[in-house]
Amino acid sequence: MSAAPARPTGEPRWLRWLLITVALMFLGLNLALPLAAVFVEGLRKGVAAYAAAITTPDAVSALKLTLTVAAIAVPLNIVIGLAASWAIAKFDFRFKSVLVTLIDLPFSVSPVVSGLIYVLLFGLQGWFGAALRDQDIQVIFAVPGLVLATIFITFPFVARELIPLMEEQGREEEEAALSLGASGLSTFWHVTLPNVRWGLLYGVLLCNARAMGEFGAVSVVSGHIRGRTNTLPLHIEILYNEYNFAAAFAVASLLAGLALVTLVLKSLLEWRFAGQLAGRGH
Amino acid sequence: MSVTASAVIKRFGAFTALDGISLAAREGEFLALLGPSGSGKTTLLRILAGLEFPDSGSISIGGVDMSDRPARDRQVGFVFQQYALFRHMTVADNIGFGLTVRPRKTRPPRAEIDRRVAELLELVQLPALGGRYPAQLSGGQRQRVALARALAVEPRLLLLDEPFGALDAKVRKDLRRWLRAVHDRTGLTSIFVTHDQEEALDLADRVVVMDHGRIEQIDTPEQVWERPATAFVCDFLGGANRVVAHAVAGQIDIAGVRLPNRAPAMPDGPASAFIRPHEFALAAPGAAGIAVVLRRILRTGAQAALETETRDGSVIEVTIAAPPEGLAPGAALVLVPQTVRAYPA
Repeated sequence: MSAAPARPTGEPRWLRWLLITVALMFLGLNLALPLAAVFVEGLRKGVAAYAAAITTPDAVSALKLTLTVAAIAVPLNIVIGLAASWAIAKFDFRFKSVLVTLIDLPFSVSPVVSGLIYVLLFGLQGWFGAALRDQDIQVIFAVPGLVLATIFITFPFVARELIPLMEEQGREEEEAALSLGASGLSTFWHVTLPNVRWGLLYGVLLCNARAMGEFGAVSVVSGHIRGRTNTLPLHIEILYNEYNFAAAFAVASLLAGLALVTLVLKSLLEWRFAGQLAGRGH
Repeated sequence: MSVTASAVIKRFGAFTALDGISLAAREGEFLALLGPSGSGKTTLLRILAGLEFPDSGSISIGGVDMSDRPARDRQVGFVFQQYALFRHMTVADNIGFGLTVRPRKTRPPRAEIDRRVAELLELVQLPALGGRYPAQLSGGQRQRVALARALAVEPRLLLLDEPFGALDAKVRKDLRRWLRAVHDRTGLTSIFVTHDQEEALDLADRVVVMDHGRIEQIDTPEQVWERPATAFVCDFLGGANRVVAHAVAGQIDIAGVRLPNRAPAMPDGPASAFIRPHEFALAAPGAAGIAVVLRRILRTGAQAALETETRDGSVIEVTIAAPPEGLAPGAALVLVPQTVRAYPA
């Protein structure tokens, strides 16, 4: 199709090249270059310094905490997101639009406000602060607060990905399954879930990326206690504020590396299941 | 299995989809629900399947009240207009689904399921396509897979929602005859929804004509065609010319021509008369009948269709076997109705 100037929908060659160049330059300047800079800056003082920066006890603890928070928040959001989108797309009930709006709330509220909400609720001076202290439960400036803030921030990713997909697929397949004698649960398991698995995977990856990278809300509830409540993004900020740029970029490259791993994972899955992907849809 | 609906009412917000429907399908009967869109026929079918629930009234299948039972307990096969095949499963898995999801106690062994799937693939004439995905099939093939899937669970009743709606004309006709043959072979009580009167009359044992959530007529195809119960039915069956008439002493007077009423008897007074295109004879000007001017002649094979216009400008279609020699547009004619169906205007 390269040398077919007579194509009715074709654009002149110079325009095609111009558009492609603009797009590539934009991607290069805004995505590839900063990503490369993170790794280059991280390695500026040599591999040894890089290794040292990412193996300090504080960095290791921050990495562990980040993975722990994601490991709790992401599965919970998969369950809640699936339940919410299933309910919204496949059933009719009152106040459905209210629920849809609520799902969008974390996207429209500044992350700092999201963090403050939890401080106001669970902090020492907060609504439940005294009760929690009596039970010796610490939420704010502790892991539970980090998990709560992360769940709140990343809640829309799975649901937002699934609701339009499920709505587009309609209810007929579920109705067919029910009329064939399937229970509600096995209908969900055998019909609804397999139909949205690729959307779900995508939502989970986005959710995970944000869970590991969230800064604002987490920053408010964390208290920045080194080695205890510092996640990777917070640790990076501390290093940066201490003018320890090489170490900051080294740890940042770790975070960027985690993001790249999830992307590679997604591509691998898509490649592995290409046949099933081809068999879906109309 | 026999099916009964009694006084079923269903509203969606302010819209009344079903306004007191009662009907009974006999064991082994093939019933058509015929009506324009919005007449409530699909809603009725979904209520019979347990996919919707009536606001009032009851449904019984095989003499047992099923009004409150969900779809999964009704043992009803449902074929959707858009097939609703499970897109991520092969054809064989689709057909076997109803058996595979049974609880362990009642689930047949795998080999038995495979045998049943193979048998059904044979029945729907797709023996080689068990391994395909729905997206790889044509519309007609998908519809047959949907039917096989519904039959796999040995339903007591088969419900089909516009089963041929999404298919092209040729496939439609083949599939129609084939479906009737499958019905006659299985003896399964079947109810299908259609807006195509030809399909309903061609296929069904009895036709239920619906409009605005009410049943206008339930009868055999012959009766529905010959003696439409209401003006709506007569009009919906299509093709008939509607003319103004009067009922006088039990007869229908159309422009001086008096005929017995083929429709159910009506009181004397103004009437809407329906005359089908082939129910006219031509006469020379001056005779009793509807005076018209010929506008166009369309010769279609053995017949000719005449498009004529009355003095008040309304168009009447007439078909005749052999048009008289020398008949040309512009000629003045008189149309003499031979049969008429009239309803109170």
